Amino acid sequence: MLVLFETPAGFALFKVLDEGKLSHVEDLWKDFASSESARKVVELKAFNKFENTSDALTAATLLIDSKPSKGLRKFLQKHCDGETLAVADSKLGNAIKEKLKIDCLHNSAVMELMRGLRNQLTELMSGLAEQDLGPMSLGLSHSLSRYKLKFSPEKVDTMIIQAIGLLDDLDKELNTYAMRVREWYGWHFPELTKIIADNIQYAKAVKLMGNRANAANLDFSEILPEDVETELKEAAVISMGTEVSDVDLINIGELCKQVLALSEYRAQLYDYLKSRMNAIAPNLSALVGELVGARLIAHGGSLLNLAKQPGSTIQILGAEKALFRALKTKHSTPKYGLIYHASLIGQAAPKNKGKISRSLAAKTALAIRYDALGDSEDNSIGLESRIKLETRLSILENKELGRSAGSTKGKPKIEMYEKDRKKGAGALITPAKTYNPAADLVLPDATPNKSEVASKKRKHQDEDTAPLAESADLAAEERENEKSKKKKKKSKDTEEAPPVDADGGEKKKKKKNKDAEEPPPADADGEKKKKKKSKDAEEPPSADVDGEKKKKKSKDQDSTMETDASSKKDKKKKKKHAVE
Amino acid sequence: MRPPARGRGGRGGRFDGGGRGGGGRGFGGGRGGGRGGDRGGRGGRTPRGGRGGRGGRGGGMKGGSKVVVEPHKHAGVFIAKAKEDALCTKNMVPGESVYGEKRVSVQNEDGTKVEYRVWNPFRSKLAAAVLGGVDNIWIAPGTRVLYLGAASGTTVSHVSDIVGPNGLVYAVEFSHRSGRDLVNMAKKRTNVIPIIEDARHPARYRMLVGMVDVIFSDVAQPDQARILALNASYFLKNGGHFVISIKANCIDSTMPAEHVFAAEVEKLKADQFKPAEQVTLEPFERDHACVVGGYRMPKKQKTTS
Repeated sequence: MLVLFETPAGFALFKVLDEGKLSHVEDLWKDFASSESARKVVELKAFNKFENTSDALTAATLLIDSKPSKGLRKFLQKHCDGETLAVADSKLGNAIKEKLKIDCLHNSAVMELMRGLRNQLTELMSGLAEQDLGPMSLGLSHSLSRYKLKFSPEKVDTMIIQAIGLLDDLDKELNTYAMRVREWYGWHFPELTKIIADNIQYAKAVKLMGNRANAANLDFSEILPEDVETELKEAAVISMGTEVSDVDLINIGELCKQVLALSEYRAQLYDYLKSRMNAIAPNLSALVGELVGARLIAHGGSLLNLAKQPGSTIQILGAEKALFRALKTKHSTPKYGLIYHASLIGQAAPKNKGKISRSLAAKTALAIRYDALGDSEDNSIGLESRIKLETRLSILENKELGRSAGSTKGKPKIEMYEKDRKKGAGALITPAKTYNPAADLVLPDATPNKSEVASKKRKHQDEDTAPLAESADLAAEERENEKSKKKKKKSKDTEEAPPVDADGGEKKKKKKNKDAEEPPPADADGEKKKKKKSKDAEEPPSADVDGEKKKKKSKDQDSTMETDASSKKDKKKKKKHAVE
Repeated sequence: MRPPARGRGGRGGRFDGGGRGGGGRGFGGGRGGGRGGDRGGRGGRTPRGGRGGRGGRGGGMKGGSKVVVEPHKHAGVFIAKAKEDALCTKNMVPGESVYGEKRVSVQNEDGTKVEYRVWNPFRSKLAAAVLGGVDNIWIAPGTRVLYLGAASGTTVSHVSDIVGPNGLVYAVEFSHRSGRDLVNMAKKRTNVIPIIEDARHPARYRMLVGMVDVIFSDVAQPDQARILALNASYFLKNGGHFVISIKANCIDSTMPAEHVFAAEVEKLKADQFKPAEQVTLEPFERDHACVVGGYRMPKKQKTTS
């Protein structure tokens, strides 16, 4: 077996003399403890020196990408015929195997061998001393680093990051300058601040006007709307501002020029950023807008870095402080970070902002990955997912509307819901009503202690059913007993289960229904308890009416009666029965 | 990125003396009235002003004959004893500061001049660990060091001072921005080999790095123990040593720092490391610890130690 070992001076091929040693990975280092013992294990077979630094650089850059350079391929072909080659990089091994048909090996034993080789490198390679290797690696590392810095793939992203940073700075500066103009000129013409709200218009007007006495003779139609202009002219005449000298006004004018120049530059920069973003990340821009997209990229460091982030991270990017505070104090984590300023989230009602931010972040993550790693240059995915998100948002908002507007429709629904829970209020059956109040009273309290109540019930049921059965036919009795046993089992199951919530599984309900129907023979006490337990109040009474036999039939009948009453919940029950 | 040197030093105040500016000035004034002019000039130029009273010659530590440099217990590290003690290393490239740090020139008995560079523990975790009283940093003259997380090369320059011309420092840094400064620094120091690569993939720089005696790791990543283990398996010799600086917040900000350190030490133990000691970098960095230990230590040594 041969070992390929890369050094800054060139490629070395070592022959492993004792392959048996490789099976004892843990003890391999002992053989490399000294140069003598190392020479017994490996032997230098060939060495391919780099001709010059550029040769070394190309070989090294290819090696970093796990590709064999031309020199390496020739070297291997020459020296490595029909032998397995141990390499330090499995990908490189695959590439060699593919191109040169040389079997490659990469495992922990090889890595250990490499360690040993590296340890005794200068001893094993005659003619390559430590002093020679140093300058080689120094030269190679410097040229590699320079190469890397020169051809940095993040170059384009850097432009965006710098541009968005400058844009933010400009906004800040522009605002402070504009406020300074207002403050300064305000001494001369305090009314103007109120009249012109826009900073740029203000600066333009001040620059044009100079002394407020000039206002009457000037034409502001290019800067201001008609009504504001007249207002300005009126105010200029009766202003309560102090008089200022021409020198002061010249300086204020210079500041105005600065403000205008800055705002112009800002607009230019914004266009540049927009075009850059649309070129580099079209889908991201389509989804969240250029500015938010650029901020996301700036925060992630580069588009590629951002593409490695999951949607959940993108959602809260920029809210790190809040996130870590929430994590430390075990509060809820923030719902949005930089992405909050996307127009989609702006459109959403406050209640839906969290939801839509989550969906948007997920889609954004996809769009970023497509931009960073995809081949095509269009923004179709971004537009598509934006439409999807907009529909989702409108669905969310409409739901909200439906709930509030359809309150009249909603009311019966609520009633039905109550019915189902309390088993009450079936207008058809009068006896049911007599039972209902008891059920109503107990249920709310009982629900938390349901398991206790249930266990009590069961005991009662067992006792009750037995005497009742005596009064009935013997056969019926037997059946009842059997059933009651079954019931017991079932009830145990239900006992163990935590108190069933309203929406609990159908199966549980079914069981309960059975329980409720079987007891009909039981006396009032038993039934009441059952009611508490079972959710359908109507069924036990109906069972009474129909008689003890044929529970299934009674169920069906119940359900039909209830459907007559036209309650939706009963329909649901029906379905359940049908399933049974 | 780190804040500019001035602000940091001034705030920290311990070695620059910024925090005690008033006292220092008063004392200085009392001692040498004639130097007042000089002092004023300096004070105007930099906001530091702490040691203004004494040094008429520019750099605060350049007290001329008044500064005595003594060797520290770690070979290659020195203490400059002036009004305030400062850690320093012998400058490999006399006459040049790497990152605006102060230099101290001392004249030997035979007339030769030796220049030292002041080592600010607020900027360097290794210096903080040294001041924290770590027993052995294992980085000594003539050793070969693999430095993970080299950043702009401020600490690397001091490590390069320590190991001297016979040693070697492989400085690995992934960020291109700070890598730029690192390469610039390395141009003047031939014992520093800059590597702009991800320390997570040591295979990518396997052809550049030889076997090393010490790995210093300051990568501040959640998986830094794994990164260290990976690099050690490639490049750290048996019986070599590691120095790792652990920032608790970078690993788990919800757990108390001590637990994070303990968990990291456990991780290291699982990877054939033998942590020997742990110091906190407390006055200089918050919730940081420096762990020092050995790698694949031979059994014999273990019994003796």
